[in-house]
Amino acid sequence: MTKKSKNRLTLTIGYLILVIGCLAVLLPLSWMVITSLKSMTDITLSKGLELFPSGPTLENFSNIWKEYPIAVYIKNSAIAVGGSTIFGVICASLCGYGLSRYEFKGKAFILSFLLVTQMFPAVMKIIPYYKILTSIHLNNTRIGLLIVYASFSIPFCTWMMYGYFKSIPTGLDEAARVDGSSAFHTFYRIILPLALPGLVATVIYAFLQNWNEYMFASVLMSAEEKKTITYAISTMADSYRIQWNYLMCAAIISSVPTLAIFVVLQKHLIAGMTSGAVKE
Amino acid sequence: MKDNTRNVSRNRIKSMLTPYGFITPACLTILLLVVYPILYGIYISFFDTNLVNKWDFVGLRYYIQSLTDSSFLHSLWKTVVFTVTVVSGHFVFGFIFASILNMKIKLRTIFRGILILPWLFPDVVIAYLFKWILNTQSGIVNELLIHFGLISEPVGWLSTSATAFPCVILICIWKGYPLVMVQILAGIQTISSDLYEAAEIDGASGWQRFVYITIPALKPILTTILILDTVWVFKQFTMIWLLTAGGPGSSTMVSAIEIYKNAFSYFKYGLASAQSVYILIICYLIGVVFRRLLRDD
Repeated sequence: MTKKSKNRLTLTIGYLILVIGCLAVLLPLSWMVITSLKSMTDITLSKGLELFPSGPTLENFSNIWKEYPIAVYIKNSAIAVGGSTIFGVICASLCGYGLSRYEFKGKAFILSFLLVTQMFPAVMKIIPYYKILTSIHLNNTRIGLLIVYASFSIPFCTWMMYGYFKSIPTGLDEAARVDGSSAFHTFYRIILPLALPGLVATVIYAFLQNWNEYMFASVLMSAEEKKTITYAISTMADSYRIQWNYLMCAAIISSVPTLAIFVVLQKHLIAGMTSGAVKE
Repeated sequence: MKDNTRNVSRNRIKSMLTPYGFITPACLTILLLVVYPILYGIYISFFDTNLVNKWDFVGLRYYIQSLTDSSFLHSLWKTVVFTVTVVSGHFVFGFIFASILNMKIKLRTIFRGILILPWLFPDVVIAYLFKWILNTQSGIVNELLIHFGLISEPVGWLSTSATAFPCVILICIWKGYPLVMVQILAGIQTISSDLYEAAEIDGASGWQRFVYITIPALKPILTTILILDTVWVFKQFTMIWLLTAGGPGSSTMVSAIEIYKNAFSYFKYGLASAQSVYILIICYLIGVVFRRLLRDD
């Protein structure tokens, strides 16, 4: 076989695998969309195989909007997750920068401890969180959940930012310091802008992780008007008869923010991951 | 002169403290919300307690009870099987897709965008989506299989002990491979193409290039992601809880679910905490072992 035809063969197989992979991803997801457009009679009374809705309808979307306080759920999620992302990434950038630029006592310990924090079983943290938040009257508040979520994202985000900062030459810092720039000023004005792609990747990561969180929201935000959207979906399914079309609508609504953020920032995500990557 | 030395030493103290200034906000948060809860959890594990007014010290009783308790050992075994298969799945698919996406292909952005999708949806959404797809009554998988005559009666994919665990594993692989794929993709792109060209001139096959260039170059990234992914999967709760809640019977009862049930269904907080400590130790050992194995020589 000549080299050229061999290359072509590899490429063809490559395309084939990609197409199969994409189908495996898209078929289940499209079923979510199709179901959300069906009426309940379409779902329960379908005799034999009927893939598509007899009359596609957007009524489900307006109905769940009327029947459930979806806007409130989304607002709860947005405040807790948005706030924790901002707070967490600020802490993580500062810490990552400090770790990448300075030698100090305890640095090696902190670096390995960041990894160890990922190993604590989440279940073990629920009871203490519940006690802490209750004792400072932050139980069932968005602020309480915000702080808890920030503590989830800080370790891994610090690790990510540490990687990006390490890939930026220290010569720049030194030059800035010689010019009389303070340590914080150097970080904020000179190095952070250079690490922007990495920062974006970290923001996406933190946002995704916390927007998708379920277990802690279910314990710490149990009051009806404080539910996050992900937890709210699971309570919608708890009723004796699940309305799958409503559930799929809610599922789609809850996924819109993460999808939107990804579409807007995806160029930076890949670039950011490439420049820093999570290295030891 | 004296003034000058004082200035110098003040500057030295200041520059000594600078790094701590940067790390304090993060470390304080971690101390309060990660370290304290863990110490508190370890403390609870020595008590027979209802967390309010009953605190009977029982020493190591729960630690010993866990080890002699067949249901905990069973759940640990389930967790190991679950972790090994799911993490392998993540890495196999992550690697395959990342390598292909790195070739000279058209529509790369679109393929990549689609393949990342499962990562972008909340666990809750994916869990209920597959619960619906695999539903016994009017689930699409059953409808299709019946339509084409492959089965005559609807199968309860998630409510039959033979099929529940494999289904849960497949769904978790489907949900989790994109993160590994993205990390590998990012890593591959940092490898200089000169290396590959040189190897090609020297007559190295595609497989050889993969083994001798790609893998070693990716090792630092792979080690971290392997450790994190293993630990995350080991502790997986949400997906399994929503899909099967550990059932039917105990066929999908991994440790995270067993512990959750002990704590919040049976209110055995001490026992649950002791079991959590075991999980913590196991995860820590996984990290140590992987780093030993994958360390650069």
